Amino acid sequence: MKKNYDVIVIGAGNGGLAAALAVLNKGKTCLVLEKHNLPGGFATSFVRGRFEFEASLHEFNGIGTKEEPGSCGVLFNALGVSDKIDWVPLHEAYRLISLEENIDVTVPLGKEKVIALGDKLCEGGSKYMKDFLELAGSISDAMTYLGECHGKPDPNVMKTKYINYMTTCSYSFKEVMDKLNYPSIIRKVLTGYWSYLGAKEDDMSFVHLANMINSYFTKGACVPTLRSHGLSLAFEERIHELGGDIYFNSKVAKILTDETGHVSGVKLVNGQEYYTRHVIANCSPHNVFSTMLDKKAIPERALKLTNYRKFAGRGFTVFLGLNKSPKELGINEHSYFIYSSSDNIKVYKEMGKLPHTAGQATVCLNNALPDCSPKGTTILYITTLFTEDAWSKVSEKDYVKMKNQMAEGLIKQFEDALHINLHDHIEELAIASPVTYAHYCLHPQGVIYGYYSQYNDGLMYRIQMVNEDAYVPGLRIGGGYGERLDGFPSSYKSGANEGARTLGDIAKEGK
Amino acid sequence: MFTKNGPNEDVKRTLSMLDVRRKLIDDTPAKELPKTYAVNQLADALHPGFIKATIKEIKPCSKNSKVITLSAKKFPYFRAGQYVTISVKINGKVVTRPYSIMSSPNDALMGKLELGVQTAGYVSTYLTTQAKVGETVLVSEPIGDFHHDSIRDEDTIYALAGGSGITPFVSMIKAIIEGSENFKLVILYGVKSKADLMLDITKIKDDRIKIIPVYSDEKVEGAENGFLTKELIKKYLPEKASIFMCGANLMYQFVKKELAALQFDLHQIRSETNCAVDQKIDNPREFNLIVHMRDEVYQIKAKENESLLVAMERAGLAAPSRCRGGHCGFCHSRLIKGSYVAPKEYEHRRLADFKFKYIHPCSTYPSSDMEIDVPPVDELKEF
Ligand SMILES: Cc1cc2nc3c(=O)[nH]c(=O)nc-3n(C[C@H](O)[C@H](O)[C@H](O)COP(=O)(O)OP(=O)(O)OC[C@H]3O[C@@H](n4cnc5c(N)ncnc54)[C@H](O)[C@@H]3O)c2cc1C
Ligand code: FES
Repeated sequence: MKKNYDVIVIGAGNGGLAAALAVLNKGKTCLVLEKHNLPGGFATSFVRGRFEFEASLHEFNGIGTKEEPGSCGVLFNALGVSDKIDWVPLHEAYRLISLEENIDVTVPLGKEKVIALGDKLCEGGSKYMKDFLELAGSISDAMTYLGECHGKPDPNVMKTKYINYMTTCSYSFKEVMDKLNYPSIIRKVLTGYWSYLGAKEDDMSFVHLANMINSYFTKGACVPTLRSHGLSLAFEERIHELGGDIYFNSKVAKILTDETGHVSGVKLVNGQEYYTRHVIANCSPHNVFSTMLDKKAIPERALKLTNYRKFAGRGFTVFLGLNKSPKELGINEHSYFIYSSSDNIKVYKEMGKLPHTAGQATVCLNNALPDCSPKGTTILYITTLFTEDAWSKVSEKDYVKMKNQMAEGLIKQFEDALHINLHDHIEELAIASPVTYAHYCLHPQGVIYGYYSQYNDGLMYRIQMVNEDAYVPGLRIGGGYGERLDGFPSSYKSGANEGARTLGDIAKEGK
Repeated sequence: MFTKNGPNEDVKRTLSMLDVRRKLIDDTPAKELPKTYAVNQLADALHPGFIKATIKEIKPCSKNSKVITLSAKKFPYFRAGQYVTISVKINGKVVTRPYSIMSSPNDALMGKLELGVQTAGYVSTYLTTQAKVGETVLVSEPIGDFHHDSIRDEDTIYALAGGSGITPFVSMIKAIIEGSENFKLVILYGVKSKADLMLDITKIKDDRIKIIPVYSDEKVEGAENGFLTKELIKKYLPEKASIFMCGANLMYQFVKKELAALQFDLHQIRSETNCAVDQKIDNPREFNLIVHMRDEVYQIKAKENESLLVAMERAGLAAPSRCRGGHCGFCHSRLIKGSYVAPKEYEHRRLADFKFKYIHPCSTYPSSDMEIDVPPVDELKEF
């Protein structure tokens, strides 16, 4: 019976799995404790009838190709999981439908194609597209450089080579776009991805969204052939190969600390204890600093920071197994953004209400993986966010009614936007509400996007202050609540980074 | 180059960003954080995992079945048609079985849950013949998607029930009457004889509910006689309805053929899954099974004709058990070594499970010595 580990990871979400591999790859011993009976957190799948639904992933950005791996491809290589995963590239970025303005545009992937689209949208449009991608590209380059120099950049290089980053970094997306003053259709089409970050443009930092748009448009995106459950099992297999342990149905109740306030172990809800001096938590700091640590071990500054932060979107997804093929149904794209308006500040506000039909991000998996469901059937999932804690007033008795009412509205919105019928073809239906997400991953209020990307708590602020923001010796927090915010690539990277920092902490102790 | 307020001003702003954030954090009060949230509390209310309950009453239901009434402070609100598992201790070992709930959703909130149990099988026979009022049992949260859904289904359910397969529909009847569900129900209810009916049909007087008993071993005046044939199914078929089926596997085989003959697309028929049963093997071999549960390792025996879950329960291990029919995924476990048989009718694993070698022990039978890694269920151990 092994009870002592160099590192213990709480939660086997993307962040936890990557953190475990980061330390195991360097020869440390590691135990992962997961509350659920599966690894992955949101990165999972489930079976209903003859359909296997993807639980979360719409598209994965940053894998690249075998020959030319993207930033996450490089990470997967380093962690030793690349050979265990097969990917299929996507062909278009999204079909954007904005109901208020009657916009319906399909945006391709690939720099040249996006630029070419510009002229179709408005006169001289291609020039603006090119202009934007150049600006966004220079920001992505700056961020790559910042990553490479581990947050200690040469100020002169920053002020010369990466000046665009330096001039835009403190501004919101809105502030920069207002100044750029592009034709409105160009701006609207470029902003489609905003809901993936779940922040409205006057809060969201320009560099964050610009970098994301640039990565998707120029580097493309893909999906794994075996759903994200296949990703999670690939990570688990690698953990076993490296001699790590991973226990399921194992909810951690407490992070133990010694008299100096340093981490000393963890305690499961069943009372069992495991010992370590280094914990990486893949759960929300709101849980860690409320119930998981003893009051006396919670630094005041940690409470200040955690209180300062705002929750990002709470999730809502409708999963449909349809008994007709996508062609028969009239669904020809893989991914859709349907917004009630292009004004994302307005849409964001509407998303605070229950029910709402402010907008949706919808995926037809068959248009990426034709064989993902039996011949003549379709998998479609519709996701939206709640920008407020709107489900807090729903009672146990009204819950199903509310869920169905909300789902009904989203299904109808999709039908109306595409002028098609889904209702008569629904063979399987599953609905995940914030309550579902709270149940499966324990996140407060059913939040799926970690902390909100607000002005001063955006990506670049967090990255630069990541060491400063760690307050309990021996404890690091990685995943969707981490410095890179939510998303598949971000949560894996954040986990791996916290793993690397923990290795640093261990090395320092050795001295 | 982009600039908003001139490069110098923009860069200055960027360089001062962190101080601004530091100050914002400094200025936030170090309040204690909430320990929970309404949404998380609702999640806990709906999904408490396991609930300790007592057997409050055991009374005859039909010739061959009893109603077991369970009582606790409160059970989660559920969707009529769902099931729970109940775990009991027999000869010192905990065994778990799924049963459809026969009572109503509103009753659950009042702390009452009824199960209709037919005297057949190991646990059911224990429950109807040996279990005592006052005994403590462990009940799971309600689970399953054998329920009406306003989006997915028509406004009418055409139920084809056989024997104790009536129980989820009894819950639906009660739910419709009390107003917690809103749909119409036409039930073709196949039983051997009048004495086998698990509900008193004469007492149900509601326009939205119609029950047609079909007796196979007895001729009753004014009632249908025989099996659930295509003629009978057609005779009572509502104009627009979703077909739900619940009964034994033999009944499914028969009814599916009849439905196919009526040109129904069988994929659109919803049937409640049954537990995986022992395989029919003459002189079954016995294998060694090594089971890892966290840091514990157990060496036990497993018979070729019994599922790995049964082997673990025989050995007194706290193994995960819910649907016992391969479809809920609750028993998802990692295969370390060995070969096995997984019958097709219970095959609902995820694609990646095949590649990375995961199994559902409830519906997996050993064909060699095996080694598996299973998530333990602590509640069963402590119970
Ligand atoms: C519907 C939906 C669609 C999405 N689409 C995309 C997309 O297209 N592209 C993209 O990049 N991202 C997408 N995301 C976001 C992405 O899924 C998440 O950002 C990412 O999975 C978060 O990973 P994480 O590391 O934070 O772990 P989480 O998935 O949050 O997992 C945390 C894990 O910790 C466990 N845990 C928590 N507390 C404890 C405890 N006390 N003890 C033990 N275990 C504990 C939980 O059970 C869980 O397994 C989507 C998310 C959702 C929900
Ligand atoms: S118990 Fe449901 S799959 Fe095994």
